[in-house]
Parts: sequence; structure tokens; C-alpha cells
Amino acid sequence: MYKLIEFIRRIYVVLLFLVIEAVALNYYAHSSYYTQAKILSYANRVTGSVQGTIFGVKHFFTLRRENDMLTARVAELEGRLSAYREAAAAAQTDSLAAAVAADTLGVGLEGMSQYRYMTARTVSNSINRDRNFITLNRGLAHGVMTDMAVITPDGAMVGYVVGCSERYSVVLPLLNTDFRTSGKIAGDEYFGSISWSGSSPYEVDMAELSKYADIEVGAEVVSSGLSHYFPAGIRIGYVESYELNDSQTAYDVKIRLATDMTRLGNVILIENMDFGEVSALEADAAAGRTETMEFQP
Amino acid sequence: MFKNILSYAGVFVTAVLLQIFLLDNISLGVYFHPLVYSVFIILLPLDTKPVWVVLSSALLGVVMDAMTGTDGLNVIAATAAGFFRPMVIGATCGRTVGPDDTLPALYRLTTKNLAWYIGSMVVLHSAIFFFMETLSLRHLPHMLLRLAVSGTAAFALSWYFVRLFVGKILNK
Repeated sequence: MYKLIEFIRRIYVVLLFLVIEAVALNYYAHSSYYTQAKILSYANRVTGSVQGTIFGVKHFFTLRRENDMLTARVAELEGRLSAYREAAAAAQTDSLAAAVAADTLGVGLEGMSQYRYMTARTVSNSINRDRNFITLNRGLAHGVMTDMAVITPDGAMVGYVVGCSERYSVVLPLLNTDFRTSGKIAGDEYFGSISWSGSSPYEVDMAELSKYADIEVGAEVVSSGLSHYFPAGIRIGYVESYELNDSQTAYDVKIRLATDMTRLGNVILIENMDFGEVSALEADAAAGRTETMEFQP
Repeated sequence: MFKNILSYAGVFVTAVLLQIFLLDNISLGVYFHPLVYSVFIILLPLDTKPVWVVLSSALLGVVMDAMTGTDGLNVIAATAAGFFRPMVIGATCGRTVGPDDTLPALYRLTTKNLAWYIGSMVVLHSAIFFFMETLSLRHLPHMLLRLAVSGTAAFALSWYFVRLFVGKILNK
């Protein structure tokens, strides 16, 4: 209270001046239609500007909620798109009838998709070690499980889940020297092996890309779909440079990452529903058992 | 003290009457409208407390508005001129006016400083008055020409008035 009185005592001349000016301005504004219109117009402009600023500040604080909603919406639409793509592929191989039958039986296209999408937010992230990890705020309780792919809301590759607790999960990102996946030049079928050398957080390497691949600097590199973690077509980055390896049979490619790993926020998790079945089948095949078997999840 | 108050009351009345009965009735075109009554604010002692300057300026504006029927226009311009006077003094006279400072007085100012002080106050008061009168910057060149013509005339008259007051009355 004392401080308030002291403050007013310090600025009372300014207050007095403002009060006199305000009264005079009000009186002057009502003296004619011209002054009324002009001063009202100025006042509206000032009020509008102040209200605009206040709205901008308020909007800033709701951005996070809007961002979460948009990410959830992107995940939902990705799921639908994936289902439609699979339906289109099924139609091409004369299995659309099965899809239609399933639809008539009450199973929607979303239910038929190989992939399930959900969202999460990064709670910690490291980029300055050889073996970096990302922690997400979703875990087993939210339906997250190991081997789920992680991408950004705009569809760029981040990594895949390697561990889950009840409420959190840990992701092995591209920026980990243990990370491996397969990638290809967009629109081409030759694939190579993606890994990180540990040098720059903005670059990864692609080795063993066939020398017949249609490659050029700036070309987009996407996931090939041969890895069970990621669907085909997930953006990895862009070719920065390339050269033939020592044996002159394949390219070694430097790729500029599409994801800025230094500022990750919301992410999308993708579960490949067939991952367990395919992995079990491959494991059995590797063990020499090739007879038909039924998958037990 | 009482004599001084009477002197300044005389300046107040003279400035208002000069403005209303002489200068407002001279028709030399739209660009000629010298506002001389602000000389009262200029002539107030430089060490006058800001609150009294603001109140005296507002009173001057109220009287002018009442006499000319301008409904607040003179109060706006005169009060603003009075409020900004300490800043104009600091900028033109080159020293601050404070309790620990040797107080400057009009008669001790150099001719150059006095001219800057009077000129700045006249321009400030006239600019606010002319802008508030038009409430638009659409005809800015015309307003600037009006400010130049009227401001020059107001400066010349104010200069004569100040020299007369300082030389003949304050020095008595």
C-alpha cells in the first residue's frame, strides 16, 4: 500500500495531465460530428490494436493444445490413408472382394489397416552422444509397445521404440550408432542401409546403394518398407553428396536429415500389426522350420 | 511575491485579450493564425513546480475555450505545452531544473537559448493545436505551411512580449 502511494506520488503530475487531456478530449470529441467521427475512428483503431495484441498473446498460450489436437488429427488421418492405400493395393490383386466382405460385415477400412497410429510428446532427448535416446510421455498404459516406429507430424523418420514402462517409452533414434534401417531414393527401387556415424546430428549415411540407382544431389530418401519397423515412403532426408565405394559396386551416400532432432516436440507412433507374425515366421524360417504355422501373438 | 502573482495575472489577461480581440480577428488567409496566448506558459518562472504549470496551462486553455467556443481544443494544446515545458527547458537551456540546481531564470538566459526555448514552445503548442483542429494527416503539407507561417508570427510576437516583460517588469 505504501509503495502504491509512493508510486502515485511520483507520477501524479502525469496522472493529472492525462486526466485533464482525457476530459478535454472527451469534451472536444462531442463538439461536432466531424471530431466525434474522427476521434471515434482513432479510438477504435487503438482499441483494435490493443485487442489484437491481447488476442495474439492469448493465442500463443493455446498453441500447445492446438498443436496436440493437430498431431492427433494427423495420426488419425495417417491411419485412414494407410487403410485406403491397402484397399487400393488389395483391389489391384483381386482381393478387394475380401475387403468389401469385411466392410459389409461391419469392419471399417480403419480396422483392416496393417498400421495403427497414436501420438506422444518427447520429454527428453539427447544428441551429443554416440548412443542417443529419446523418451516419450506414453507407455504400456497408453498402448505403446516396443518396435513401434516413431515419426514427426510432417512424416519424417525419428526412430523406433526399444523400451516401455507403464507411462513412458524410450526410442532408439536415427542419431544412435546402433540404429539400422533400409532406405531408398524416392521413386526408385534400389535400397541401401541407413546408419549414423556419430559425426553430425544433421546427417546420416546410406551404404550399399546400388550403382544403378537413379541418384542426384537433393533427391529425397525414404524408407524402403523392407524394415518391419517403418512403412514404405517415410521421409528420411535428402542426398547431400554421394560417391562410389572402394569396390566401385555401390554408392556411399551422405543424407541431410529431414528431421531436426534438436527440436523435437510432438511425434507419431506407428504400430505394425503384422510385426510379430512376420518376425516369428522369419525366425522359424531361419531355424529351418518351413511348414505352415499359425501365429500366436 | 504578491507583486509577482499580480504581474503574471496581468500577463494572463493580456495574452488572452490580445489573442481574442486582436489576433483572432486579423484575416490574412488560412495559413495565418498565430497563437500568442501560450506566452503566458513561456513566461512562468522556470522553477515553477510542474503541477502548477500544468494546472495554469489548463486554466488558460479553459478560459480560451470559453471565450472562443472551441470546446476543449485550447485545453488540449495548452495543457500539453505546459506538461512538456520542463523537457523543452532541459533540451533548449542545456541544464535541468531541480531542487539541487542553480535555478535558471529567463533574464539570465542567453539570447540563443531564449530564442530556442520560445521557438520550441510556440511550435509545440501550435503543432498540437493545428493537428487537433484538423484531426488528420492527409493534408500534412498544408498543416506544415500553416505551422511555419503562424509559428513565425507567433514567435516574433512572443519574443517581443517576453523581452518586454523580462526587461520592463521583472527588472523593476
